[in-house]
Amino acid sequence: MGAFAGRWLTKQGGANGALLALLIIAIGMGSALLGSPAMLNTVTNMMTALVGVMAIALFSGNSGALSFGHVAFMALGAQVSATLTMPPALKAQLFPALPDILLHFQANFAVALVLTAILVGLFAFATGLAIVKLSSATIPIATLGLLIIVNSLIIGADGVTRGSQAVYGIPKSVDIFVVSAVAALVTGFIALFKESAAGLALRATREDEAAAAAVGVDVARLRLLAWVLSGAVAAIAGALIAHNLSVFSPKDFYLDLTFSLVVMLIVGGVNSVSGALAGTLVVTVMIEILRRLENGFSLGVVEVPQIFGLTIIGLSLLIMAVLYYRPGGLLGYRELADILSRRSAPVASKPHSVPAQVTQKDAEKHMLRVASVSKVYGGVKALQEVSLEVASGEILGLIGPNGSGKSTLLACISGTQSASSGSIRMDGAELAGLPAFAVAQSGIARNFQSIRLFANLSVLENVLVAVLANDRTATQASARHKAMTLLDRLAIAELAHRRSGDLAYGQQRRVEIARALALDPRFLLLDEPAAGMNEAETGDLLNILGQTMRETSIGLIIVDHDMPLIMRLCHRLVVLNRGSVLAVGAPQEIQNDETVREAYFGRRRSGKGRPITMQQREIIA
Amino acid sequence: MDYFAQQAVNALALGGTYALLALGLAVVFSILGLINFAHGELMTITGYGLVFSLAAGVPYPGALICGVALAVFCAVAMERVAFRPVRRASATTMLLTSFAVSSILHTAFQNFISARPKPVPVPEWLGGAFTLAGIQIGAIPSLSILVTVVALATLVWFFQSAQTGLAMRAASEDFAVTRLMGINANRVIAASFAISGFLAAVAGILWLFQRGSVDPMMGFVPVLKAFIAAVLGGLGSLQGAVLGGLILGATEVMLRAYLPEALLGFRDAIALALIIGLLIVFPNGLMGRPIQAR
Repeated sequence: MGAFAGRWLTKQGGANGALLALLIIAIGMGSALLGSPAMLNTVTNMMTALVGVMAIALFSGNSGALSFGHVAFMALGAQVSATLTMPPALKAQLFPALPDILLHFQANFAVALVLTAILVGLFAFATGLAIVKLSSATIPIATLGLLIIVNSLIIGADGVTRGSQAVYGIPKSVDIFVVSAVAALVTGFIALFKESAAGLALRATREDEAAAAAVGVDVARLRLLAWVLSGAVAAIAGALIAHNLSVFSPKDFYLDLTFSLVVMLIVGGVNSVSGALAGTLVVTVMIEILRRLENGFSLGVVEVPQIFGLTIIGLSLLIMAVLYYRPGGLLGYRELADILSRRSAPVASKPHSVPAQVTQKDAEKHMLRVASVSKVYGGVKALQEVSLEVASGEILGLIGPNGSGKSTLLACISGTQSASSGSIRMDGAELAGLPAFAVAQSGIARNFQSIRLFANLSVLENVLVAVLANDRTATQASARHKAMTLLDRLAIAELAHRRSGDLAYGQQRRVEIARALALDPRFLLLDEPAAGMNEAETGDLLNILGQTMRETSIGLIIVDHDMPLIMRLCHRLVVLNRGSVLAVGAPQEIQNDETVREAYFGRRRSGKGRPITMQQREIIA
Repeated sequence: MDYFAQQAVNALALGGTYALLALGLAVVFSILGLINFAHGELMTITGYGLVFSLAAGVPYPGALICGVALAVFCAVAMERVAFRPVRRASATTMLLTSFAVSSILHTAFQNFISARPKPVPVPEWLGGAFTLAGIQIGAIPSLSILVTVVALATLVWFFQSAQTGLAMRAASEDFAVTRLMGINANRVIAASFAISGFLAAVAGILWLFQRGSVDPMMGFVPVLKAFIAAVLGGLGSLQGAVLGGLILGATEVMLRAYLPEALLGFRDAIALALIIGLLIVFPNGLMGRPIQAR
């Protein structure tokens, strides 16, 4: 339990959640004390909508996949909680086909709300099993499909529901105090979730799914978690609406509501919990104004006639304006707590001076064996029966001409791609066929040939994701400490709070390596780590790798085109050509190997036995 | 057996219409990454174009051409006005922009035309049916199949042989590289919208012949299903879109024909659930490619 809280609770999440919750309570209380009945009504409705917006923000903001389906959970929430709270006599009249046990069951609102959240959460779990497997581009469409399915199920189940007719007589259990309290709780919870270990990892998948999997994040599991939680929150929103208005029909929970909620979220900023609140406020005010104008108004000289749907046109123009001029919404990635704290405290904390030792030197010896691995794309054999092995403490260089299969081999080992045949074993345990995140968790880290950082997360967060994903016992505090230590070792601690996407190329390479080392890997796969670096930067990189090798006994597989670097660093080289192993041996042997030279330069009659010049060496690989 | 054969014809007819719509969506998606929610409004625009040209006294074939031309023009205009400013933005931003365009358009139809359905006169001979090998076949399904085949064949020719078509296929593989080859991006994108508008118009006319009227929300449901079809086929794959459309059409028709009476109300729900179920097995769609990471 302690560890659980340690992974959930953060200072930022807590501060932001508390601020937003207080703000919501203040708005609720303010309108209760000062507002006219009409205004009180508007604020109450806004609070119920806010809970719906927060539900979508919980899923879409963290996962990056927009959902059009949460209104389906709201519809179910309204239906379930109405069924649980209405008096049996009314239920017998409205829902003649309701099973007896449900007919006679009557709970109070609080109990019904909890039951509704649980039941709809279970339904969300069942649908989520399918939804979370899809790509971010297809989720909006699949979730829209879900909305239509649920809507037609509710209408079709006439007798248990009221079909397309209105359900009325729902106990009015909700007032401004109840909705404000629930909205504040929900918002606080979502602010906490965003900064929690799960929320952080999910935001990493939003930035780059492949990179997140490569540091051990199980994308599908986290998306499912967010989907279920957000489904339960949406159900609460639906129940609040039903118990506020006492009446609803399926058409109230369909496309119009979906559109309004999504507009609120996008206008405020889908990537910020504070933004979701801001968007709800702004759009509510705008709807109120437009609604008054909808019946026609006078511009002094010109009489504007009644325009049906002015509200929808207004909202559409608003969302387009926001998308054109502020694509991230009003708040972008900022939270209220960040904005307020910027003035008082500097964001970047001083570089920690912490002991350089991260983990005790792993005394165990590990062995990574690749045996007869092949990879076929369509008709192309990218890898044919490749076998190699690396031991702890060893640096294996993987070289070969372009297209020889080096990157494919690394991808197969790391699980980013699955090998067509063959086995990849670490200490006897089979890794081939495991998903990338599981390979990462078992102790194999990688970087990418083209840098893949979580661009909108800070440098510290990039590393933090990796620490938390691989050490289930790490708390936020201990993980932060470890992440800072790693940044310190790579001499980028002073960049900890910068947005990683803003860094220079060489710095990004370092962040990527720090992130890979955060897995405490037994083996590290580096795909052209020095590509695009100048000599000084390459030298620094070599020093860092050397130091890492001395302190931890990891094994290294390194692919690079920089031959001097490969020759200096590697204990052993494997040469790939056209997907097969051409030669294995010590750097000196490889340098003088006839077949290797043929592979690079073609067969030459003269010059037999002539050693490769330094110039030629740099062309190699 | 006859009943099944008739249903198979209906399945092909409906599936063909979905295929045209899904293909229109896929042509744009494969190049821009835009999921165009306003595609359905292009169908509706075709319907209004037809109705108003007929009212203005244009003869029927001319009115059909007017309807199609209007949809093509509106598709290209839509890109120019609404989507170009967000071309480089995220997929979500583009999707929401199209969502907003769609809302504005159908609200405009409600205000400036009519919220109520407008009847579309359908040529009389389309109400008939003929007998082929002992099977009664309706004129509308036959026409749908014929038109779908002709439209698809034209497109295949265009993508295989026409220069713009080749450029578009290249762009759908890798737009960035295609631009580096000196292909005019604006032209390729405009062409993709023109084609998607044309396909929406053809599908719209077939849809109108079935329904006999046009209303502001006419395009919404078929296009939504076409989305699902495109996702099933693999978003961005042109062949996949056609395949997905045919499968969805066949599923719907067969459910309508063979589902017990009590479950008929759940027909759409069951069809959609089956398709989403298929997606569990093929998360990237039937012909989609998984994204590779280097």
